[in-house]
Amino acid sequence: MEAYIRGIGNISPQNSWDNADFPGETVLYDNNRLKCIEPDYKEFIKPIQMRRMSRTLKMGVAAAGKCLRDAKVEMPDAIIVGTGLGMMQDTEKFLTAIIDNDEKFLTPTSFIQSTHNTVGAHIAVMLKCNKYNLTYVHDSISFEEALLDSLIRIKEDHSEKILLAGIDELTDDYFTIANNVGFWKKDINGNTDLLNHNSSGSIAGEGASFFIVSGEEQPDNYARFAGVDIFYKPTSDDETENFIREFINSRGLELQDIDLVITGMNGDMVGDNVYKRMQKRLFDKTPTAYYKHLCGEYYTSSAFAAWLGVMILKTQRYPDDIFINDHKPSGPVNNILIYNQNNNTNHALTLLSAC
Amino acid sequence: MEELIQKLKVEIIEVLNLEEMEPEDIDSDDPLFGEGLGLDSIDALELIVLLEKNYGIRIEDPKDGRKIFFSVRTMAEYITENQK
Repeated sequence: MEAYIRGIGNISPQNSWDNADFPGETVLYDNNRLKCIEPDYKEFIKPIQMRRMSRTLKMGVAAAGKCLRDAKVEMPDAIIVGTGLGMMQDTEKFLTAIIDNDEKFLTPTSFIQSTHNTVGAHIAVMLKCNKYNLTYVHDSISFEEALLDSLIRIKEDHSEKILLAGIDELTDDYFTIANNVGFWKKDINGNTDLLNHNSSGSIAGEGASFFIVSGEEQPDNYARFAGVDIFYKPTSDDETENFIREFINSRGLELQDIDLVITGMNGDMVGDNVYKRMQKRLFDKTPTAYYKHLCGEYYTSSAFAAWLGVMILKTQRYPDDIFINDHKPSGPVNNILIYNQNNNTNHALTLLSAC
Repeated sequence: MEELIQKLKVEIIEVLNLEEMEPEDIDSDDPLFGEGLGLDSIDALELIVLLEKNYGIRIEDPKDGRKIFFSVRTMAEYITENQK
């Protein structure tokens, strides 16, 4: 199963809106909270529509619009979205109204838009697209689930052009609650300082990454998703190692064919040790990178990693500050393995290959 | 009445998120729905809640809504007549 990437639209805490500038300078943050750099939405959303939209909904609709435009696709054959938390801002607004108003005077707008599938649904309404529309909500593997569904659909019909996305937002309340349970590092000097502390927690982030994927090979495709797999709760490192080996071999590749590994290292010492052990076992001599200092930690951050990988494959350029070992690609980068795991529970592998 | 109309305009802008709009941009006698301000059915629900929450007025018969919410002035008149 594979799919070519024909278009991208990405809003993140980095300057990822205009891909012509890739990789650009890393945007620096001096705290533990990375917020998206938002574009001018007026190009994609009418003011009368915008007034009801939460920040994330605007990000999703704009990124989808940019992605469709980039791929020169007017009407996708499917809209498949992955999100960990859905529309948090509207959910919080609705729940706060319930409490503040003693369960009375509930207004419809935030309730309507508080569901997890709001982004996918809103894009469909705006496009008048009544085709397949699904949102996957599954913790840190929400994007991979959406990608897997896209690959299955494309296997059945190569001509389908699917709008695939990973999106999550960081609200004040969520940041505070997650902070109280120790999700975010308190002693950090900024995003580029992420891996320099032997402590728990990470930095908070958010993003909206959209892709148009299709089974049709075109000369101007960016790259291709060559596979995705998910692995739940390994009982030992041997099991994890076998999972990674088998995934790569099943795609007709050997370990040495992987030119770059992009890991989900996020500064949390327990979680990062899992990556380090796998790196030592499998990728000791392979250029290995991380990306969460660029976008922060959020449930669908692996969609940002996919965008990063796609851009590296397309341009053969990469940010200098992503590498965590001394190896850098010595030749063309043709195969990138994205390895993301959460608490050694949900492990996800995505293979990106050059066209 | 004029004071209430001004207050209503501010509240409408707030609850309907009419960004970039000022109270003076809303004509007191222009239709709120359709060709005037261009509001829709979700806005109607927001206005019903506004009347109940801010003025303690509950619209019992939905058919009355068309008349009550025709313009800011008709809203203000209905509030004046029905507020306890």
